[in-house]
Amino acid sequence: MRKLGHQKHYYLMLLPGMVWLVMFSIVPMFGILMAFQNYNPGAGLFKSEWVGLENFKYMFQLNDSKTVIVNTFIIAIGKIVFNLIVPLVFAILLNELRSLRYKKLVQTFVYLPHFLSWVIMSTIVIGIFGYYGVVNTVIGMFGFDPKLFMADAGIFRQLIIGSDVWKEFGYNAIIYLAALTGVNMNLYEAAAIDGANRWQLIRHVTLPALTTTVVLLGVLSLGNVLNAGFDQVYNLYNPLVYSTGDILDTWVYRLGLQNLQFSLATAAGLFKSVISFVLIFISYRLAYRYADYTVF
Amino acid sequence: MKRNMAMLLSTVLLGLSLTACSNDNSANNVKAPSNENADTGTPALTGDDLAFSKFPKPVDVHIGMVVDPTDKTLPEGDSVGNNPYTRYLKDKYNINVIVDWTAATGNDFKQKVSLTIASGKLPDGMVVDDRSFMTKAASSGLLYDITDIFNQYQSTQVKDIMASTEGRALENASYKGKMVALPNITVDTDGVHVLWIRKDWLDKLKLPVPKTVSDIEKTAKAFIDNKLGRDKTIGIAGPSKNSFPYSTFLVSSNNMGGFDPIFGAMDAYPGYWLDNGDGTVSYGTTSDNTKKTLALLADWYKKGLIDPEVGTRDNVGDPINANQTGIFFGPWWNGGYGNGDSFKNDPTANWQAYPVYTDDNKWNSHMKTTGSTYTVISKNAKPDVVKAIMIMNNALVRDEATFDLSVNVGWYPLRNVMAAANETEYEYTELMKVLKGETKPEDYNKPNSLYKLMYADAKKVKDVVKPPYDELNVGNFSTANFGDFQRLYSLLIGDRPFSTTPIDKKVFSVTYNQTATMETKWANLKKMEDETVMKIILGQAPIDSFDKFVKDWKSQGGDEITAEVAELLKK
Repeated sequence: MRKLGHQKHYYLMLLPGMVWLVMFSIVPMFGILMAFQNYNPGAGLFKSEWVGLENFKYMFQLNDSKTVIVNTFIIAIGKIVFNLIVPLVFAILLNELRSLRYKKLVQTFVYLPHFLSWVIMSTIVIGIFGYYGVVNTVIGMFGFDPKLFMADAGIFRQLIIGSDVWKEFGYNAIIYLAALTGVNMNLYEAAAIDGANRWQLIRHVTLPALTTTVVLLGVLSLGNVLNAGFDQVYNLYNPLVYSTGDILDTWVYRLGLQNLQFSLATAAGLFKSVISFVLIFISYRLAYRYADYTVF
Repeated sequence: MKRNMAMLLSTVLLGLSLTACSNDNSANNVKAPSNENADTGTPALTGDDLAFSKFPKPVDVHIGMVVDPTDKTLPEGDSVGNNPYTRYLKDKYNINVIVDWTAATGNDFKQKVSLTIASGKLPDGMVVDDRSFMTKAASSGLLYDITDIFNQYQSTQVKDIMASTEGRALENASYKGKMVALPNITVDTDGVHVLWIRKDWLDKLKLPVPKTVSDIEKTAKAFIDNKLGRDKTIGIAGPSKNSFPYSTFLVSSNNMGGFDPIFGAMDAYPGYWLDNGDGTVSYGTTSDNTKKTLALLADWYKKGLIDPEVGTRDNVGDPINANQTGIFFGPWWNGGYGNGDSFKNDPTANWQAYPVYTDDNKWNSHMKTTGSTYTVISKNAKPDVVKAIMIMNNALVRDEATFDLSVNVGWYPLRNVMAAANETEYEYTELMKVLKGETKPEDYNKPNSLYKLMYADAKKVKDVVKPPYDELNVGNFSTANFGDFQRLYSLLIGDRPFSTTPIDKKVFSVTYNQTATMETKWANLKKMEDETVMKIILGQAPIDSFDKFVKDWKSQGGDEITAEVAELLKK
């Protein structure tokens, strides 16, 4: 007890964070009950009619649910894979640069898109891929007919993944760059004395040094397998690309907020959360096993 | 048990409201003392005296409000809760408006309303823009049954306007026989979509005004070939990513940039529930004529006559305002109010409105419901607050024409327009008389008239419109006061077709509301419909995919819903 008194101010500093956590993460958990009810806002959370798993059954009967789950998986996994590889390649290339000033300049520029929200970025993306946009102007020079990219279900996922990677790769490279600064310079010197060329230095010194980081980031991102990015998809999609672009989050949004099917939307949201929770659990175990990473 | 509680509650509330009335009126019963009858608690004032009575003590009304973030007309220092309109309500009626929350027009506001209903904590009053919000809140027991208070407090004007809809407005605002909202009532012509075309472009090419679908095709082609909208001329503008190719039974009006008149000219009424005349109903989208029209639109798209970016644009009005296009479809206000920038960018843009005819010279048009926005009142509101909201509505209807509109009237708290269903046609006819000197503006100086804006418009029409009056073109109009220009242009040009040409076939939907099964299944069916229709128009799916859509639509709930709608027909 005396010990606690000693650390009082630390706990005090924790307080705002805890209050935030309780208010915004713990209290809303009760809302999950809605998934098992025919929720009636007038009756409230505790007096609405209980319907068991009815909402879940109905959800899986809808053709939409399969489409959105598949779309969510494909888009999210695409983002995870490319957001690992592209920043890695970029970080290694940047690391090979000699001119420090140029390096900083490039780094600053590729960071920039990360700080813009998708509301703004979507306008830029639509501007680039629009009917009179840059891409169509360029392919027009080669004599091709312009194409309405934003309405093409066949390439919508690629567009989503590509634009996300473009927005985030600069920022995601930071962690690799940090890991690279930690590589012992002696290793490079020793390898150089042994006659390694530049490519071999990367292959045998830089990459092995980064393996742990890559594995760790990859494993930890497993929890995001159902997070395909609401902001981005919501701002870029339209009815023509629902078949490949509609994801769980946008679906829940339309069900719950536009069609007032509160219970069904909660059920879909809960479904997503449960799967994500299992994946996070697995990823944490894997991270512990392969990268010796622990939080607790 | 629950129902008994509700009954008990409403009885108590009613009792409260009656006592409150008599309390209110004891203070100003000087006006009509003979009417007082203390035994039954009948209020001292009746009729319009009551409808415009001032509260003896300030009444606080909490509201949720939609705001237009781009509006800059609010004077320095004023706010959403303190502006000329709230001060007017405070001074004249002792009503204190307190704004609990605001949200930007469009999706933000819808989202806020949806969350407010989900939380079960409604402000005293808010105006919602979708009937499903009203029914959801009413079925959850969140709304005040305003039947009695409305009957008692409505002004003569409001009563007349309600009557002009022959009971449709009341039904629209009711849930299970109880009036649970103040409906907006908009003019019928909001649901009549016409062809808007650049007459100056036609004149330049010495072309006649197109009448039929094939005329429109030729005209659009001529506009493009002659590059009248410069290099990127668009033949026909179309819907954006947020709007639809046609209006539907749920959103039955104001579809700027849709293809409604084309469907009408092909005798197709997609999105409407049609009475087959033999006791059965069908959904217009699934008809053969709709399929034919979609094939036609797909052909036009392929030929490059329709905006290549149709269905993905952010904003319907962009190509119209940029004067890239000379043809689009929409209701009366789309030219004037709807495309102001087009005139600013090119003062010679002579937009004219015409019906589109079938090949055998008939004008078909689907018709709208009375209105689609609703002032809903929380069941927890005090009776005085409910009365205050009635008075606010009465005052808006009576005084809107006298307000200084340099502050956008959108800032009026709980503004929900009530207009006589034929207001625009009346104004068109009478304003033409004023222009031709057959009547004088003073002839319309009738306080509390059903046509509340008539006098104000009659006074200014000659300042805005210059002779000759036989054929009005954009050149006849002065843009000195741009707001007046927009209003009179829409009235005199945009409403001319509906005011002067009778519609040969008016098509009403069997219902404009959701049935029980629709509450769960409509979202899915609608999504399927939107996707199929747009894909066919854009050539991403063959026209034969339409048959598969009809089959899927029926099996995934469409048949069930059709049966429900047929039940409604029997009543």
